[in-house]
Amino acid sequence: MFKYVKKLEYPVNVQKKDLKMAKNLLAQYGGPDGEWAAAMRYLNQRFSMPDERGKALLTDIGTEEMSHVEMIAAMVEQLIKGASIQELEEAGLSAQYVEHDHALFPVDAAGVPYTATYIETSGDWDADLVSDMAAEKRAKVTYENLMRMTEDPDLLSPLSFLRQREVVHYQRFKELREYYKEVYQKEDFK
Amino acid sequence: MYNENSNLFEPYQGFIHGNMFKNLYSPFGKVYEIKPMNEQAEILTYIDMLDFACIDLGLYLDVFPDNVQMIQLYNQFKEEKKKFMEQYEETYGPLTLSSRALQVTPWSWDEDPWPWEV
Repeated sequence: MFKYVKKLEYPVNVQKKDLKMAKNLLAQYGGPDGEWAAAMRYLNQRFSMPDERGKALLTDIGTEEMSHVEMIAAMVEQLIKGASIQELEEAGLSAQYVEHDHALFPVDAAGVPYTATYIETSGDWDADLVSDMAAEKRAKVTYENLMRMTEDPDLLSPLSFLRQREVVHYQRFKELREYYKEVYQKEDFK
Repeated sequence: MYNENSNLFEPYQGFIHGNMFKNLYSPFGKVYEIKPMNEQAEILTYIDMLDFACIDLGLYLDVFPDNVQMIQLYNQFKEEKKKFMEQYEETYGPLTLSSRALQVTPWSWDEDPWPWEV
């Protein structure tokens, strides 16, 4: 079961309104390598991990990703707060306004809605873990691109934290896969 | 376990680096310090950093469950975090629905601000 802790994993205090960055950050909210996709991917894949190490790691990384969903949501909310219709239009967010007003809705940076196909469950630990490692790498690249698009330290600080978590998650998935390869003697390309 | 020769950052440094493991740290731009604006934010930073240390050591232990020193350190951080949480909740209200701060009326769980509010 899940229980809520009434705090963020890492503080988000964005003072400056920036609608273009709000739109860009949606990549990590409802995008294919975004935090929702990551959380749902691991929390589904954990059911078909072959042993206790995999079940534990995917549960715990999946849970941490839920905290990252909340951080991205907080950033978008704070960046968009109090924006006028004109400001939303200028930032390319008029379609967002028409359907969702100022509310959060999981789409990517181009407005493409989140879809369950981002949740890659194959029932095969090797296929799942390779996919997870790739997803962490892609999310790291996305964070680096986002960090190049702003000079606001209020955004750079949490983005830097989130980028680094992708590095650690990648490493743990890799170590788990190496362990499984040893235990189950599965060769690449076999 | 963490000293200048250790592979581990101490919790605050680990927290601001987003990584407790020095050998895994991948730099990109600068490291941002946390600057608490008041006493509430300061205690919250202690909770955040110890909570983070537990999360990161926990992921390591999921894959390497036989590391005795790491398990001891996990439990040490968990206990320290508990103390700061009790101190925080006594003054600023509950962080979880298991908090002792929930005995007051009106129901204190509702109280603003929620975590996404500045």
